Amino acid sequence: MSRSVYAPENPQRPVYLDHAATTPVDPCVAARMAEVLNSHSEFGNPASSSHDYGDAANALVETARRQVADSVGASPDEVVWTSGATEANNLAIFGVAQYYRDSGRHIITARTEHKAVLDPCRELERRGWRVTYLVPDGEGLLDPDELAAALRPDTVLVSIMHVNNEIGVVQDIGAIGAICARHGGVRLHVDAAQSVGKRAIDFTGLGVDLMSLSAHKAYGPKGAGALLVSKRGTGRQDGRVQLTPLQYGGGQERGLRAGTLATHQVVGMGLAFALALETAESEIARIARLQERLWQGLSSMGGVLRNGSTRHGVPHVLNVSIEGVEGESLLAAVSPQLAVSTGSACTSALSEPSYVLRSLGRSERLSESSLRFGLGRGTSERDIDQAVAILGYQVSRLRQVAGA
Amino acid sequence: MKYNELTRRYFGAPSTAGILSGPGVMRGAAGNRERGTWVQFDVQVVSGTLTAARFLAFACPHTIAVAAFVAEQAIGATATARLPQDVRALVERFAVPEEKLGRILIIEDAWAAALTSH
Repeated sequence: MSRSVYAPENPQRPVYLDHAATTPVDPCVAARMAEVLNSHSEFGNPASSSHDYGDAANALVETARRQVADSVGASPDEVVWTSGATEANNLAIFGVAQYYRDSGRHIITARTEHKAVLDPCRELERRGWRVTYLVPDGEGLLDPDELAAALRPDTVLVSIMHVNNEIGVVQDIGAIGAICARHGGVRLHVDAAQSVGKRAIDFTGLGVDLMSLSAHKAYGPKGAGALLVSKRGTGRQDGRVQLTPLQYGGGQERGLRAGTLATHQVVGMGLAFALALETAESEIARIARLQERLWQGLSSMGGVLRNGSTRHGVPHVLNVSIEGVEGESLLAAVSPQLAVSTGSACTSALSEPSYVLRSLGRSERLSESSLRFGLGRGTSERDIDQAVAILGYQVSRLRQVAGA
Repeated sequence: MKYNELTRRYFGAPSTAGILSGPGVMRGAAGNRERGTWVQFDVQVVSGTLTAARFLAFACPHTIAVAAFVAEQAIGATATARLPQDVRALVERFAVPEEKLGRILIIEDAWAAALTSH
């Protein structure tokens, strides 16, 4: 299949630099999904093994399962389909907590995790579990020694993300996995929703028990994801990781995730991951050049601070704080022309500064006046130059209004 | 965050942003940059009448828009510590969310500080 190039249909639309929030569906993926939806022979229930319609759908599902597994160094029988990374995170955290509740009720995670990990942990705290939240250094990196010190005899799970969604920092999962293995094989869950196509993943080699994946961060459809469940025991006496399912009814996905599979969704995810693997090397190099161009342009404005490690980050995400401008005004000024994310969560009329940036030690003001640029397959040099020009004009204007 | 047309207009082109200098110019400010909202007004008063007004603001779009509007509307009026329109009317005109009422009160404080600074 030839590679298609994503291009905005309307050049008047804002420049899209929010690929860390979501990506457009690759045209090849969309076309393949449409084929499946329109098929008169592959619409069967993949669980219906008594006729050809079901067998045909099941064949598509298993091909997709193999594609996803191959792209992250896993075995097909380690892939459990979910509706996305949020469900995968919930299944991993609640599933482990429930299954091992008699062995211990302590979990370790980090302050900079996605809400899809933090909120389940907080819910477990309400139910009586204890949670340790590791604090990263000023660059967003965790110290493996601090993890080692936090482990307790009753620790049943460590949940640490691979690529941070806000600052793009990559944690040393290999080192974290080794510590977990040394500590009697405490189970390790990794949220890798942002990783596919950005950083190579070797699920088997990393010593990870559970890994969450998302389709829509890698040019696949929204509403599709997977939880990788290791079939190895990573040296534990009690063998491979076990989960208590969150939903029942049908026994699909080896009883871990009941419900009829959405064939077209998983087909889309499988193809998207295969394409991401195919293009990763050249894309990472291209995006790195664009990120450097963006950083050079932004830093020339003065008063621009980079958030997160430059040495241990993916090039697809650049997070900066801009001095002398108020966060909401900054976003309001640029958003008609530039689609980016802000460091403040506007859950109400009053924004709240990013908890990730606050965890790195950034002040409330600088956390609010931050922007996350998410570069992706459709990003061009022209987009970067436009973004720099838009930011340069609006920041200068707002600084004048502020008397800065 | 959605903004009404008036807020977008005054935020996008706040023609009264800036400072004044010269005889009869008074300055007042309120709020705190570190706490997210700071507003300053410069007003020029000649024979009891406001002849010019400018503002600076480190603030959200609603606050910038309302401050720009206040500075524009005050020209030619009798110099008084009261805003050209009361806070409730400004909140309604600019569709300021209730949670941001405190920020509009900072505008009122800055205006009063300028007009009483001599």
